[in-house]
Amino acid sequence: MTENFKPKITLFHCINAFGDADELALNDKDACEIQTVKMACSSMVKDVFLLRAFEAGADGVVVLVCPEGQCRFLEGNIRAKKRVAWVQNLLDEIGLDGRRLSLGNMASGDNAAADQTINNLLKNLAEVGPNPAV
Amino acid sequence: MIVGEQKPIAEIKAIIAPFKKILIMGCGTCVKTCFAGGEDEVAVLASALRLACKKDGQDIKIEEITVERQCEDEFIQEGAPAVSRNEAVLSLACGAGVQALARRFVKTPALPGVNTTFIGVLEKQGVFTEECSGCGNCGLAVFGGICPVTRCAKKLLNGPCGGSQNGKCEVNPDTDCAWQLIIERLRILGQMDNLRIYIPPKNWQPSLSGGPRKMVREDHMI
Amino acid sequence: MNEKPISKLQEILAKGEFAVTAECGPPRGTNPDVIRKKGDVLNGYVDAVNVTDNQTAIVRMSSIAASAHLLQMGLEPVMQMVVRDRNRIALQSDIMGAYSLGIRNILCLSGDHQSFGSQPDALNVFDIDSMNLIRTVQVMRNEGKDMSGFDLNDPPAMFIGAAANPFADPFEYRVIRLAKKIDSGADFIQTQCIYNMDRFKEWMKMAREEGLTEKVHILGGVTPLKSAGMAKFMNNKVAGMDVPEAVIDRMAGVPKEKAVKEGLKICLETIAELRDIEGVHGVHIMAIEWEDIVGEIVESAGLMPRP
Repeated sequence: MTENFKPKITLFHCINAFGDADELALNDKDACEIQTVKMACSSMVKDVFLLRAFEAGADGVVVLVCPEGQCRFLEGNIRAKKRVAWVQNLLDEIGLDGRRLSLGNMASGDNAAADQTINNLLKNLAEVGPNPAV
Repeated sequence: MIVGEQKPIAEIKAIIAPFKKILIMGCGTCVKTCFAGGEDEVAVLASALRLACKKDGQDIKIEEITVERQCEDEFIQEGAPAVSRNEAVLSLACGAGVQALARRFVKTPALPGVNTTFIGVLEKQGVFTEECSGCGNCGLAVFGGICPVTRCAKKLLNGPCGGSQNGKCEVNPDTDCAWQLIIERLRILGQMDNLRIYIPPKNWQPSLSGGPRKMVREDHMI
Repeated sequence: MNEKPISKLQEILAKGEFAVTAECGPPRGTNPDVIRKKGDVLNGYVDAVNVTDNQTAIVRMSSIAASAHLLQMGLEPVMQMVVRDRNRIALQSDIMGAYSLGIRNILCLSGDHQSFGSQPDALNVFDIDSMNLIRTVQVMRNEGKDMSGFDLNDPPAMFIGAAANPFADPFEYRVIRLAKKIDSGADFIQTQCIYNMDRFKEWMKMAREEGLTEKVHILGGVTPLKSAGMAKFMNNKVAGMDVPEAVIDRMAGVPKEKAVKEGLKICLETIAELRDIEGVHGVHIMAIEWEDIVGEIVESAGLMPRP
C-alpha cells in the first residue's frame, strides 16, 4: 500500500438521491477519483454492472440510495441492498474483498450522508489496498 | 422446471484451471428461471472469473453465449462457431444440457458449472420446491394432487410415519409432511376414503431404478 | 391355517392374558454377550422381547442376528424390521431366514430417516412401505406365496406386529391408519409410549367404535421417566411424542434424588390404567439402555408370574 494510493471509485446513484456529481460536496476532493453512473432507480444496480466496474479498474464502488421507506418506486432501494450484499459475498469468494463495495442511504441533498459513506469506503480501501485484478 | 444451483466459484475455478480460453454457455429455459445459468448469470460468472483469475495472475480469456435451450441440438448448433474458438465449454445448463454439448462437440470438453437438483415449481419469488421425481408411473389422482413419492422423505404410499409433528416432516422442521398435506387436501375434496385404499408395492421399473429411460415417438419421426 | 400357536406371544394373547413385552437394542459391535446380558435381566419377566433394527438409523448388529442370540438363550424375540435399508428382495429373504432360525414374531416399521443416524450420507431404500411389509408377511403365512406370487417351499408363518402412534398428527387420521394396518394383516399393535392418558383413551375409544379392538391385540407402550429433563427432551425433541405439562411438572416437582422413583410411580400408574382399558391386551415396556428396571416394573405392577 503506497502513500500515493488515490482510490478510483465508481459511484452508482439514483437521480432521486442526488442530481449530479458536482453537487456532491466532498470535504476532501483530492482523496479519490470519482466516476458516476446515474440511474433512474438504485435497484438498477445489476450484479454484473458492479462487477464490470471492478473489471474497468475501480478500487471501490459505492451505491447511493434513498432512505428505506422513501424510494419512489417503493422497494427499489431494498432490491439494491440485496444485490449489493450478494456481490459483496461474491467479491469475498473470489478474493477481492467485499469491503470494496458499499451501499449508503441518503435523502436528497443530504451531502453529509454521502460524504460519510464515501469516507467509510475510503477507510476500508486504505486497509484492502488497490484492486488486485487490474 | 428443472432446478439447479450454480457451483461454488472456488469449485468452478478448479474445474476450468487447465484451460486458457473458455466459453461460458448459458441456457435460456429452466436454469434461467431459477437464476442458475441464464444470460445474466453467464455475464456475472464471466466477470467474476475474470477478476478472480486476473487477481491470481492467471491468464484466461472468457467468451459468453446463451442459447435458447441446451437440451436441443438445433439450438446448441448455433453455438458451434463460439465453441470452436475455445478450448472448453463451461455449461451453466442442467446435466442434460452439458451432456448434449458433449454429444455434439466431441473434441471439446463440456464442463458443468451448475449442480442440477430437481424437477420443481416456483412457489413464490425466489423459492423453488421439489415436486416430481419422474417415477414414470403417476398416481397423483389418488393422492389429491400431492406426490408422496417425491415429497414424503420415505416415499410412503399408505399414509404417514409416526414422526410427523405439527404437520412437519421429522427430517426437517421447515418441510411440510406430505401426508399431512394429502390428508388435508383429501378432506377438502371429500375423498378421505382414499386413505383407506391399500396401495400395493410400487413398480419401480418405469423409474430410474430400471435403468436410464428412453422415449420414442415414432409418430413424430420421418 | 394351522391350529398350533404361531408363537408364544400369540398364544398368550389368544388366551386373553395381559401380555408383557420389552425392548432391547443390539450393540454397535459384534459381541453377543451384550445381548445375552440384556436377555438375562429380562428373562422370566416378559413374554417376548423386541429387537430393534438399526434404530435411529445408527448402524448396529442386525436385528435378525441379535434375535437369534436371544432365541438361543430361551427368550422369545419380536424381530423388528424397517423398510428404510432393504428392498423387497432382501426383506423377503430375511423374513425366511429369520423363520428358519426359529424367529416367530415380526414388527413391521418404516424406520427413522437416515439423516438422524450414523450414516446420513447413505442412500435410503423405502422400496415398499411398512403397510406393504405387513401384507407381505401375512400373504406368506396365509397363502404360502412370496411377493412375486411364487409358492414358497415351507412358507414362514409369523405373528405380525405393527406400530401405532396415537400422539402423532393428524389425530383423527390415526384410527383410519390403525384400521388399514389391521386390514393389511397386523395381528398385534405396540403403541408409542403413553404419557397423555386422556389422548390415548380417546384413541382407544375411537378404535373400539370402529370395531378394531375385536380384530387386533393392542399393547400400550410405556417408558419410565428418569428426570424432568428427560420428559422435556422427549416432548420437544422426539418426533411424535406427547408429554403433558402435568407430567413434566410432577417430575420437576420432586427433588432430583427422588426423580427416578417418581418416574417409576407414573409408569406403574400408567400400567394400572392400561389394564382397565377395554381393548388393551398388554403392555410394551421400552426402557432403552435401562433393561434392569423392567423386572422391577413388572413385579411392582403385579404382573408376575408370567404364564
